[in-house]
Amino acid sequence: MQTFATEAVDWPESATALREQVRALVAEHGERDPVRRANCWTKADPAFSRRLGEAGLLGMTWPREYGGHERSQIERYVVIEELLAAGAPVGAHWIADRQSGPLLLRMGNEELKRRWVPAIARGEAFACIGLSEPNSGSDLASVRTSARRDGDDWVINGQKVWTTGAHVAHFMIALIRSEPGSERQQGLSQFVIPMDAPGVTVKPIIDLTGAHEFNEVFFEDVRLPATALLGEEGNGWKQATAELSLERSGPERYLSSMALFTELVRHAGKHPDQTVRELVGRLAAEAWTLRLMSASVAAKLARGEDPALEATIVKDLGNSYEQAIPELVQAVVEMDLNGEDALARVTAYLLQVSPSFSLRGGTREILKGIIARGLGLR
Amino acid sequence: MSDTRRMLAEMADPLFAELSSSATMERDWARIEELGLPLLLAPETEGGFGGTWEDALVVFRLAGYHALALPLPEAIIAGRAQEGSQEHFLLCAFARGAQIAGALDAALAIAVGYVNERQQFGRPLGKFQAVQQSLATFACEAAAANCAAMGAAQALDRGDATFEVAAAKLRANRAVGVGSTVAHQVHGAIGFTEEYGLHELTKRLWQWRSEFGNDAHWSRVLGELVVARGSEAFWPDLTARTDPTRVD
Ligand SMILES: Cc1cc2nc3c(=O)[nH]c(=O)nc-3n(C[C@H](O)[C@H](O)[C@H](O)COP(=O)(O)OP(=O)(O)OC[C@H]3O[C@@H](n4cnc5c(N)ncnc54)[C@H](O)[C@@H]3O)c2cc1C
Repeated sequence: MQTFATEAVDWPESATALREQVRALVAEHGERDPVRRANCWTKADPAFSRRLGEAGLLGMTWPREYGGHERSQIERYVVIEELLAAGAPVGAHWIADRQSGPLLLRMGNEELKRRWVPAIARGEAFACIGLSEPNSGSDLASVRTSARRDGDDWVINGQKVWTTGAHVAHFMIALIRSEPGSERQQGLSQFVIPMDAPGVTVKPIIDLTGAHEFNEVFFEDVRLPATALLGEEGNGWKQATAELSLERSGPERYLSSMALFTELVRHAGKHPDQTVRELVGRLAAEAWTLRLMSASVAAKLARGEDPALEATIVKDLGNSYEQAIPELVQAVVEMDLNGEDALARVTAYLLQVSPSFSLRGGTREILKGIIARGLGLR
Repeated sequence: MSDTRRMLAEMADPLFAELSSSATMERDWARIEELGLPLLLAPETEGGFGGTWEDALVVFRLAGYHALALPLPEAIIAGRAQEGSQEHFLLCAFARGAQIAGALDAALAIAVGYVNERQQFGRPLGKFQAVQQSLATFACEAAAANCAAMGAAQALDRGDATFEVAAAKLRANRAVGVGSTVAHQVHGAIGFTEEYGLHELTKRLWQWRSEFGNDAHWSRVLGELVVARGSEAFWPDLTARTDPTRVD
């Protein structure tokens, strides 16, 4: 039984040049504080995103016609792993570049594509994901936010929650019940909602580190034109779940804690402590393996396959790895978590944020359910 | 998969399945030799296959999958490195990592097959969420061991592969713990019997975890390598290992 078909990744000849390009860009406009580098894909810096857009590093695989650069999926992969490994503040555009842009290109009508896609590629339009609601978390098919037809328009009412980046986003792609009285996966559609549309209210939710990354979003009689419907009416569930493969496989699922690993290696170099070095070795082996797995999924996406199962495996393993790092470091290195030392500061920060790693993008339990289905158990 | 690899798999799979854990040198080695498998890596000019390490991976994995009780990996490696040398140790560690990956896949398949059959509380065990979640965890570990073995094979074909083989053996060793535990747990008592074949795999998994470097050995080797290069070198080194070398 082989659940993860391993195949060689053909790294492009252009990889070295691309890496140099990204490394130079980050050096010039990157993030130096190791705490902000940890978990960097949630850190929004619109100026940095625009800089990446100017450099042609957003929308890399998209058609030129829509502002893209027609490069390969693996070239894009090279760029995003470089950004994350360097801890660059990519949070502003991350969701738009990773999933909203591709979704719009695949499903969007011409008006939606023209309006949003080139702006995303320039690093000027940011997106958020409107799935979760107060009563629909893991059980996403129970969403109740509604879209009602009124003449040619749609009128949206309801609420989303935990919406990462809603406060910096220009639009949301939301999963909404468009057929009154429909149940579960039926009667759902996706809509593109401009965040400045009248009737949209964003309220911050402060997380346990004191940071503002996610939000509640309220819709009160938000009126949208017919063209705001994304893809097919009633096909929202399928579209949203296909989108999740893009969300789950990326290197952000194992590289969030790279900043801590770097600090650990620095620490190990100063103290010839065998236990610490062994931990470095163990974490390096895992990072190397996860990188291969994650790139292998990218290669499958590049071939037009839908590696949903593999993507889920990578996310689950990656999350566990990232969550284990701060705990393992805490267990072997004596430190004062309130101290000024970089290693202690990053450890303290990641201990607090790491519980979220196995929640966002699908919880550990839900992912394991998907893998179990892949094993033929459900 | 390349044609050579597909051919190798088609050759080795049925034979290893037949010989499996009860094979003996006296009775069965000749059949292995008949297929020319020990000369897998030898050049064609010397009557070998001229195979690559990725080709060898296919054979090692299948030897693990079927718990083949013959020293075929050792025989394949014998032509490549002097026994007792560092290189020999490294190559054998690669082989064990690949065998572990194969054996984990086999144990996973047996476990999944079993929980789909065995009924308790009026339904198959596999319908219980706790059982599903354990097996999903196992599947992730088996996937990681397999991917790591592949990465090590590719590195061997490129050249110096100390880092990759160390990482792959270490990753495989770690997967053994989760994999064999879950495999036994979901089987209940039957898996603990001599009659039921699961132990043919798990005994070897436990054995292979110690052979050619345990967790401590390889984490020390890797740790020293990484620390010696310094914290800022880790990522560039990692990417340089897979990027095509620059042509300038
Ligand atoms: C940092 C962060 C960012 C996020 N960003 C976004 C975003 O941008 N957009 C968005 O839409 N959502 C976002 N989310 C929400 C996230 O997708 C949900 O938190 C997640 O789907 C779980 O839903 P819940 O929090 O309501 O937990 P619940 O569904 O209430 O689950 C609680 C616990 O019970 C477990 N559980 C639930 N059902 C089962 C079951 N059937 N079997 C076994 N266990 C089960 C879960 O796994 C979990 O451990 C974000 C969350 C976090 C933490």
